[in-house]
Amino acid sequence: MSGDLLKGRLIVVVGAGGVGKTTLAAALALGSAKEGRRTLVMTFDPSLRLKDALGVGDSGKGEPIRVMEAGPGFLDAALLDAKLTFDRLIRNYAPNAAAAKRIFSNRFYRDMAGNLSGILEYMAMERLFEMQASEGYDRIILDTPPTRQAMDFLQAPERMMNLVDSKAIQFAMDPWWDDAGRKNLAFRIALKGAMELSDRVIGRRFLLDVVEFIRAFAPLFDGFRSRAEDVRNLLLADETRFLLVAGPGPDRVPDAMFFLRKLQETGHHLGPILVNQVHPDPGPAAGKDQGTVLLRFLADRDQRGLSLLRSLFPGEKNIISVSLEPVPPGDLRTLGQLFEKLSKANPN
Amino acid sequence: MSVLDRIAERQLVVVTGKGGVGKTTLTAVLGRLLANRGKQVLLLEVDPRESLHQALGTEPSGGEVVPAGPGLSIQNLQPGAVIEGLVREKVPIAYLARKITESTAFHQFVEGAPGLKETALLGHAYRVLQGGHRPRTDLVIVDAPATGHGATMLAAPGLLAQAAEGGQLGDMASELADFLADASRCDVVLATLLEEMPVEETLELIELLWAKLGIRPDLVVANGMYPALPHGAAPTPGMNLWRARRRLNEAELGRLTASWEGPLLKLPLLPLDRGPALVKALVALLHEADS
Repeated sequence: MSGDLLKGRLIVVVGAGGVGKTTLAAALALGSAKEGRRTLVMTFDPSLRLKDALGVGDSGKGEPIRVMEAGPGFLDAALLDAKLTFDRLIRNYAPNAAAAKRIFSNRFYRDMAGNLSGILEYMAMERLFEMQASEGYDRIILDTPPTRQAMDFLQAPERMMNLVDSKAIQFAMDPWWDDAGRKNLAFRIALKGAMELSDRVIGRRFLLDVVEFIRAFAPLFDGFRSRAEDVRNLLLADETRFLLVAGPGPDRVPDAMFFLRKLQETGHHLGPILVNQVHPDPGPAAGKDQGTVLLRFLADRDQRGLSLLRSLFPGEKNIISVSLEPVPPGDLRTLGQLFEKLSKANPN
Repeated sequence: MSVLDRIAERQLVVVTGKGGVGKTTLTAVLGRLLANRGKQVLLLEVDPRESLHQALGTEPSGGEVVPAGPGLSIQNLQPGAVIEGLVREKVPIAYLARKITESTAFHQFVEGAPGLKETALLGHAYRVLQGGHRPRTDLVIVDAPATGHGATMLAAPGLLAQAAEGGQLGDMASELADFLADASRCDVVLATLLEEMPVEETLELIELLWAKLGIRPDLVVANGMYPALPHGAAPTPGMNLWRARRRLNEAELGRLTASWEGPLLKLPLLPLDRGPALVKALVALLHEADS
């Protein structure tokens, strides 16, 4: 019934901010559960109503919560929390409790680690991998972070691997930072010049905080590297589909194109493209008042957007128009109706 | 003194809000409106995929300052380029500067240092205002990243000042943080749609800005409101959709004003594509709403 919509064991829902990713991810997950699949939907920061509808309060941070059951199938939902995942990861990979404690007490980790670019995205992937590996689910649907640079998370595993292998790390491990290392060899003089420059510009305490952080992290690197590779392979697997949600109208097409190009370049498998919140035609019987003119403009604008996208992807049959709901779905009943509508729009 | 009169007195205005709520269009509208009042205005766009130029009908900036009508210009700014420019300035030997900016360690530092990129962008705006740049600029409006990142951006200089205390970088960040905290010179304008998620994020951001930075936005602009339904509208599906959407807008407006008592201006959904005609129409409507 649902055509290609639910193809894949892992469905990653991507798109720009404000296009309705979270609602569509929840509707798809509900549909999957109703079809008898053990389903998990993982989401960042859903709206309050959706939190109520799915039953994931703040208490549900990190751990999945059962939303509904349907025969063999069920729906679980989990809210993602980057810092909690990071903490858990450190506990898992630290060789002993003292090594973990050294990281947790580092000022740089406490204040900054959660803010580092790419960390949030990587942690989403990491958590996803954990859930996938637990084999408790037939299908996982991931709602990606609300950022315009959402494709960051595709590169997140690579970035983590690069970071682990980088010169910055070797730089931090350099004994120059230790008091003993300061008396070191003459050939360091040139290097030392550069370091003293950065010392003056950046500030010594800050550099030492970062260096200490990287050093505390070093015993975990091997674990991180192999895990990042696993995560990358999972994203590239045949059973993983990327479902793109686009906003309506020609203005939103460049956003959609950006995501599509990136996904194609990186060899990820593309699922259906959902063009969301499309205004329906007001019909020929409608009048000429100001309001109808507006509705007709919006319907026409959204059709222009769809035509543009279709013309840019001539072979793509899976561009699905999803009409704007009078009232946004906010409970299991209306999410279920939305899934029915999606299935009908994509019968192949 | 009206809200827009007060904003016209500022030097730096940061426009933020959830993705897809019309930040870029609002930035263009504010810019044009304040330029019409005789200010020299520079609009800074942070998103690498440029769209500000479409709203104003100019060429894309590609990093350069591009004129966009009387008193107004736009610039798309990438943090990497700003930081490299700073290194070239601080390290007078070209060969050494190039060595630094080409090194992997440098790039990793730029990527990883907390708040550095955001600080560089705001720092650029600050320097433009300090003078030395031509043409003279009275006001810089930043089309900031979406909500969460918008707050991160404003907090960045303070964070960096703390982290890098004692170095030149820390001193620069600290000066910038003081500038941002000065409500008579800097302020924040929030864009939102009257829908649940955008209103939710707007309220959260207002709270966050106050709690973390002591900043109160000068203005909240509610974009894209469905106009009131004409009397005696036929119950076609189109009209029903409109009625439901208008009702949703009104309910969310009620929720917004229950928590936000500061200045709020509403802009309607218009039958115009993004472009100079839309900006012109919204400038007139915003001016009208303000008086």
